[in-house]
Amino acid sequence: MNWKNVAHLIQVDMKSGRLIRGRRLTRFRESRFLPYLLYGGALALGLAVGATAGFIYSGVSAVADSQLMALFHQGLLDLFLSLPTLVLIYSIVFTMMQQIQRGGVKFSVQAPYWLPITWEEHTLASAIANLLGFPLASIVFIGSAIIVVSIFMGEVAYAVFTFFALLATAFMASAITEIFRILQVRFIGAVYKSTGRAAVWVRFVGSLLFFLVFYIVYFFITSGPGAITFVQTVASAQGAVWFIPFVWLGMTLYSFITGLFAQALVFMTLSLLFISSLFYAAVMLNRRFGLYEPPAITVSRGVYAPRTGFLGKLGFSTVEAALIRKDLKAFTRRRELMYIFIMPIVFMIVPLMQTLGATGGPQPMEGIRPFLFGFFFVLPGALMATILGSMMIGEEGGAVWRIYSAPISPKSLVKGKYFFIVFFSALVTAVTGIVWVAVFHPSLRAILVALATSLLLVFATGAISLANGIRGADFTELPRPRMMRTAWNFINLIACFLAALAILVPFIPYLFTLVPFMSLRPAIDLYQAAAISAAIAIIIAFVAYRMALKNAIELLTKAET
Amino acid sequence: MWLHMTMNYTSAVELKSVVKWYEKILAVDNVDLNIKPSEIFGLLGPNGSGKSTTLKMLLGLVQPDGGLVNVLGIDVQEDAVAVKRQVGYVPEAPRLYEFLTGIEYLDFIGDIYGIKAEEKRERINEYLKALELEGREGDMISGYSEGMKQKVALISAFLHRPKLLVLDEPLSGLDPRSARIVKDLLHELKAQGVTTIISTHVLEIAQALCDRIAIMYRGKLLALGTMDELRKRASMPDSGLEDIFLKLTGTGDIRAVVEELLK
Repeated sequence: MNWKNVAHLIQVDMKSGRLIRGRRLTRFRESRFLPYLLYGGALALGLAVGATAGFIYSGVSAVADSQLMALFHQGLLDLFLSLPTLVLIYSIVFTMMQQIQRGGVKFSVQAPYWLPITWEEHTLASAIANLLGFPLASIVFIGSAIIVVSIFMGEVAYAVFTFFALLATAFMASAITEIFRILQVRFIGAVYKSTGRAAVWVRFVGSLLFFLVFYIVYFFITSGPGAITFVQTVASAQGAVWFIPFVWLGMTLYSFITGLFAQALVFMTLSLLFISSLFYAAVMLNRRFGLYEPPAITVSRGVYAPRTGFLGKLGFSTVEAALIRKDLKAFTRRRELMYIFIMPIVFMIVPLMQTLGATGGPQPMEGIRPFLFGFFFVLPGALMATILGSMMIGEEGGAVWRIYSAPISPKSLVKGKYFFIVFFSALVTAVTGIVWVAVFHPSLRAILVALATSLLLVFATGAISLANGIRGADFTELPRPRMMRTAWNFINLIACFLAALAILVPFIPYLFTLVPFMSLRPAIDLYQAAAISAAIAIIIAFVAYRMALKNAIELLTKAET
Repeated sequence: MWLHMTMNYTSAVELKSVVKWYEKILAVDNVDLNIKPSEIFGLLGPNGSGKSTTLKMLLGLVQPDGGLVNVLGIDVQEDAVAVKRQVGYVPEAPRLYEFLTGIEYLDFIGDIYGIKAEEKRERINEYLKALELEGREGDMISGYSEGMKQKVALISAFLHRPKLLVLDEPLSGLDPRSARIVKDLLHELKAQGVTTIISTHVLEIAQALCDRIAIMYRGKLLALGTMDELRKRASMPDSGLEDIFLKLTGTGDIRAVVEELLK
C-alpha cells in the first residue's frame, strides 16, 4: 500500500467538492483552513455539550441519592455501548447520501485506470473520502462530547475506547457503502441486460422505490419519536444479537466496561477481522467491476414508424409537441430528473405516517383536520410546479445548443414547457388529493375548493418559476447538472412563496372559523374566498407567463455559452 | 433531391462591420465577409480567434454589438427563427439528448423542422444506412461512441435539407468511410446549391474541401481567398495551408518551441 497515493487520491476527492460548490470552475479563492472549519466547529460544539452534560452530572450527583446516581451512571454507560452500532447505521445512511450527492463528481474524479494506483489504494482512499464532511464531523462531535463528560464521571478510559470504536465503525460503514455502490452498478447492468426494452421503466420505478424506502428509513431514524424508539431498541437488543458481526464493536465495549477483558479482546479481534474482510471485499469487487460500464439500453427495435401523436389534436404545433414528448422522456429516463416525482411522495409520507399513528407521535386534533386537509391537498402540486418550472430550461444542459439553433420560437418554447409543468403538477395534485380525501373524508365543498385552489396555484407558481427558470438557467451538466443558478433558485422560491401567500390570503378569515376555541362567525363565505383567490391567481399567472415569454426571447438571442 | 437553385439573394452570408465584445474582450473586430451561394467556405483560426462567435452570430445565437449579419437574404437580428429553419448546424462538441435513442432524437429533429412523417422516415432511414448506424438506432445515445454521436449530430444537420450548413469540426471522431461519405456529400450538395461553412483545425480537410478560406486571428479577418490567393498573400508559392496558416498567424516559430521541449 502506497500511503502517499492514498493521501493524493483523498486530496483529489476533497477538491472535487469545488465542482459541487463553485460556479466558476476556473477561479478558486480557497482558504487552507476552511475545510477544517467544520471539524473545528464540531469539536467546539462537542466540548461545550460534554461540559454542560458533565456539570449537570456533577450537580445531580451532589443532591441525588446513590441509587439514583447508579441508575444515571448506568444510563450513560449504556449510551456509550450503543454508540458504535448507532454510528454504524447513521454513517451508512449519511455516506450513502454523500454518494448520491456526489455521484457525478465521483465519475469525474475517478482515478484513471492507467495510473500506477492499486485497487487497495483506490478503495481505501474512496472509503476514507466518503467519511469526510458530515459523517466525520458528527464523530468528532460525539467523541469530544463523551470524552469531556467522562472526565466528570471518572470513565475517561471507556470514553477514549468508545471514540476509537466510533472511528472504526464509521470506516466499516464506509466500506459497506463502497461495496453497495459497486454492486449497485453491476446489478443495474445485469438488470438492463435482462429486461431489454423494459429497462427504462424498470430503472424509473426501481429508482423511485429505492428513494422512497431510503427516505422513509431516513425520516424514521432521524426525526420524531421513531428516532428515540430506535436508539432504545439498539441499546437493549445489542446483547441479544451478539453473533451479528455488525454489533461486535459494541460488544467489545460492553465486555470492556463490565470487566470481561478476555471477551473484549476476542470481540475486538473479531471486529478488526470483520472490518478488514469488508474492506478486502470492496477491493475485490472494485478490481472485478471497478471499470465496468452498464450496457447500452435498447429502447426500440424493428422498423421505424413516425407517430403523429395526440398532442397535435390538442392544438399543439409539431414543434411544441416534439418538445413535450422529449421532456416526458427526459423526466422518466434521466436519473437526476426522475427524483422530482419523489418530492410529493416524501411530502406526504411523514404527515401521513403521523396522521395514521405510524410514528407513535400525537395524532392531529380533530378541529384542525380540515385545515390539514387543505394544506396537504393544495401544497404538493404547487411545490411540484415551483421545482419543475425552475429546472425546465436548465435541464436541457449542454444539449441546449439544439434549442438555440433549431427554429423554435420563444412562444413555442414557453408554451411547450409550461404545458409540461402544469400537466405534471396537476397530476400530482390529483394523486395526493385522492390520498388526503381518503384519509380525512372532507365535504364535497371542501374538495371542490381545494381542487380549484391547488390548480390555480399550479398555474401561477408554474408560470413564475418558468420565468425565473429561464432567467436563471444554468446549463452546466458535468460533473452534475445544475439547472438553475443558486441566487435565482432563491429568488424563485421567495417569489413563488409570496405568490402562493397572495393567492391563499382570501382564505385566512375563513380559516379562523375552523379553530375550535375561537368560535368565530365566518367573515367570508368559502366560495367568495375561492373566487377572490382565483382572480388573484389568474392575474399572477398571466403576468408571469408574459415575463417568461420576454425572458425566452432574451435567452434565444443571447446564447453566450 | 436537394435542389436550391432558385435563390433571391446574391450572398448566402454577408457580414458588414461586425463587432462583438465579451465584457472587455473584443471577440470579433469589425469583420466584413461575403460568402457566395453554393460555396464551401473554410473559417480557420487559432483557439480564441473569434470563429465560434462569428458562427453563432450567423444563427442569431449571439447578438453583435455592431454591424449587420445577413444570412440567405434575411437579417438575422430581424428574424433568427426564419434563418434557423434553413440552416443545418453542428457545433464543435455537440452534446445530444443522451436519454433519447438515436431514432427518437432524429424523430425529434424532424418534428422541430416540420418534416412530414413519411418524408422523415425515408430520410432518417437513408442516413442511418449510409452512416452505418442501422441496428443501433434503437439504443439510447448514452451508449454511443463519440463517433456515433457525431454521426447523429451530422444527420440532424442534414435532415431538413438546409440551404446553409454551418459545421464546426464536422469530421471529428468519424471513421474513414463515414468521413469520406460526408466529404462527398458536401461536394454533391454544393452542386445542388447548398452553401457550407466549415470551421476546422485539421487544415488538410480545409485545403481539400474548401473553395475559399478565411483565417481569423484575434477577432480580425487576417486573410481571405482561394488557396492560390492565400499562397500569394503569404508569399509562399508552393506551400500547403498549414505553413501559410502558421506564417500568417505569427505562430510559425515551431522549431524553437520543439527544441526547448527537447532540452
